[in-house]
Amino acid sequence: MNPAIALRMAGADFLKLRKKRSTVIWALVLAVAPVALYFIFKGVQHSSNPGENSPAGGIRGYEDAMPVLALFFGPLAAIMIGTDAGAGDLAAGVFRDLVVTGRSRVALFAARVPAALGLCWLVMTAAYAVLTIGIYALASGTPTPGGALLINGLLFTLFATGIVCVVAVGFSSLVGSRPAALTALIGWQLIASRILENIESLGSSRRLILSQAVTHFSPIFVGDHHGPRGGATVTMSTATAVIVSLGWIVVFLALGAWRTRTMDA
Amino acid sequence: MDQSSLAIETVGLTKRFGERTALDGIDLQVPRGAAFGFLGPNGAGKTTIIRTLLGLTPASAGTMNVLGHPVPDERAQALERVGAIVEEPRFHMHLTGRENLRIVAAVRGRETFTRIEPALARVGLAERADNKVKSYSMGMRQRLGVARCLLADPLLLILDEPTNGLDPAGIQEFREMIRAMVEQEGRTVFISSHLLDEVEKTCDVAAIVDRGKIVTQGAIADLAAGGGARHELILSVDDADRALAVLDANSLVDEARPSDEGIRVVLAGEPPTAAQINAALVQAGIGVTRLEPVRHSLEQRFLQITARLDADLVPEEVKA
Repeated sequence: MNPAIALRMAGADFLKLRKKRSTVIWALVLAVAPVALYFIFKGVQHSSNPGENSPAGGIRGYEDAMPVLALFFGPLAAIMIGTDAGAGDLAAGVFRDLVVTGRSRVALFAARVPAALGLCWLVMTAAYAVLTIGIYALASGTPTPGGALLINGLLFTLFATGIVCVVAVGFSSLVGSRPAALTALIGWQLIASRILENIESLGSSRRLILSQAVTHFSPIFVGDHHGPRGGATVTMSTATAVIVSLGWIVVFLALGAWRTRTMDA
Repeated sequence: MDQSSLAIETVGLTKRFGERTALDGIDLQVPRGAAFGFLGPNGAGKTTIIRTLLGLTPASAGTMNVLGHPVPDERAQALERVGAIVEEPRFHMHLTGRENLRIVAAVRGRETFTRIEPALARVGLAERADNKVKSYSMGMRQRLGVARCLLADPLLLILDEPTNGLDPAGIQEFREMIRAMVEQEGRTVFISSHLLDEVEKTCDVAAIVDRGKIVTQGAIADLAAGGGARHELILSVDDADRALAVLDANSLVDEARPSDEGIRVVLAGEPPTAAQINAALVQAGIGVTRLEPVRHSLEQRFLQITARLDADLVPEEVKA
C-alpha cells in the first residue's frame, strides 16, 4: 500500500483516539496520578520526619517511582488506549463503512497500531515529565539521576508500555469487544501474570511472561545489582527477552489481523 | 473503463448461515444509470445480498460483478466508485460530521478530501458539520451517510432502507436527491426497501425478493401490471349492456367485463386508444359518465406475489 495512504489512515485513527475524551482522561489519570500521589505521599512523610524518611525525589525516589509508571500503571493506561484502538470501529459500528471503501482489511487493522502507540507514548511522555519534575523538585539535596539514566528511563517506559499497547490492539481486534478485552488484559496484567511470575515451580517457563521479559530491559535495579533487574522474579538473557517480547507482539498482531480480515463486518 | 451496461450482476448467488439459506441462487441484473428498487418483506434477504455484494460477508456460491469487476477477486477496484449505507448509517459519535468524513476520506485516498465540503453542502449539513454527530437527529445522520457515500464520487450508490427514521419532508427531499443523482448525474442507485410506495415513487426498475429468492424483476410499470404493461380503463355508462356489446366488437379492446367499479376495459394498445374508445361509445349513443385509467399499484402486485408464495408454502393437508 502507498505509504502516504498508510500515514493518512494512521492519522485518522489517531484522530479517533485523541478525540475520545474518556479514554484520554482515564489514560492520563492512570499514568500520571499514581506518580503524583507517590510524590505527595513520600513528600509528606519526608517533611514530617526527615530523619526516618528519605526525600520523595532524587535517585531513590526515581528508583521507586519509575517502576510504578513503566511496569504497573503505565501498562494499564496502555491497555485502555490499545483496546480502544483495536475495537473502536467495531464498537461504533463503522468498521463495515470502512470495509466498503474497498481498502484491505489488514491495512485497516495496521493503521490502528501506530495510532495507538502515538497516543500511548504522548501520555507516557507527559507522565514521565511529571516524574522527572518530582525527582528534581523533591530531591532535598540528595543525588539526582543523570541525563543518560533519565533518557534510558524514558525509552524503557515507552518500550514497556508500547509493547502492552500493541498487544492490546491485537487482542481487542481478535476479541472484537472492548469491554471483554479490557477486562481480560487488566486481569492478566494485575492479577494473573503477578501470580504466575511468583510460582517458583514454574521455573524458567516464567520467562514467557511478558512483564518478566520487559523488566529485563529496565535501566534500574531493585535491591542489589546482582539479581534480576527492576524486580523481575526470573533472570534471562537479553536474546531471550527480545525473543519473548517480539513473540508477544507478533502473535497478537497476527491474531488481530487474521480476525479483522476474516470476520463478518 | 468498463463498458458493461450492468452496474450489478449476480448469477446463482447463494449465502448460507449454517443450515439456513438466506440467499438462494439469486440472479440479479441492475442496469446502469437507473434507480433500482430491491423490494422485499423483512427477513427476505435484502441486507444479506448487500452485505455479500460489498464483501462484508463471503458468498457460499455463485458469482458477482459490481461495475464490471468480479467480486471478491477485484473487490478493491469494484468498490472504488461505490458508496454504500448498510442498515442504518453509523458514525463515531464523539467526532463531528466533518471529522467522520475525514476518516473515510483518509481510507479512500487523497483526492477524496476535496469532496468533503461539496458533499456536506449537497446534503445540507455544511452549517452543522462541526457539531458532534451525537447531537444529530436520525435524519441528519442519514444525510451524513449519503455525504459519506458521495466521497467516492460513486457510479453506484447502495442504500439499505434509506428512508428509515426520516419525516415526510425528509423522505420527499431524499427522493428528489436520488432522482437528481440518477437523472442529472447518471449515477446508479440501488435501494433496498420494504416500503413499496417509496420504491414505486423513486425507482425506475425493481426486483422483488422473498425468502432469499428473486420472485420477479423489471421496470416498475411492468411489475405493477403483472409482467406486461397492461393499460386498463374503468368506464361508467348509462347503458352497460349496449356498451359491452360495442366494446366487444371494437378491435382496440382486448377484454371488457363488468366489475364492481363499472366496466373494466383492457386496451389492446397504448393509452391514446382511450379517447378512441370514448368516441366509439358516444357515436353509438351511449352516455359516458366516467372514463378513468386504472393505475396499477406495485403494492397490489407485491401483495399478490407474496400471498401466492405464502399459499404455496401451506402444506397440502392444510389446504384440503
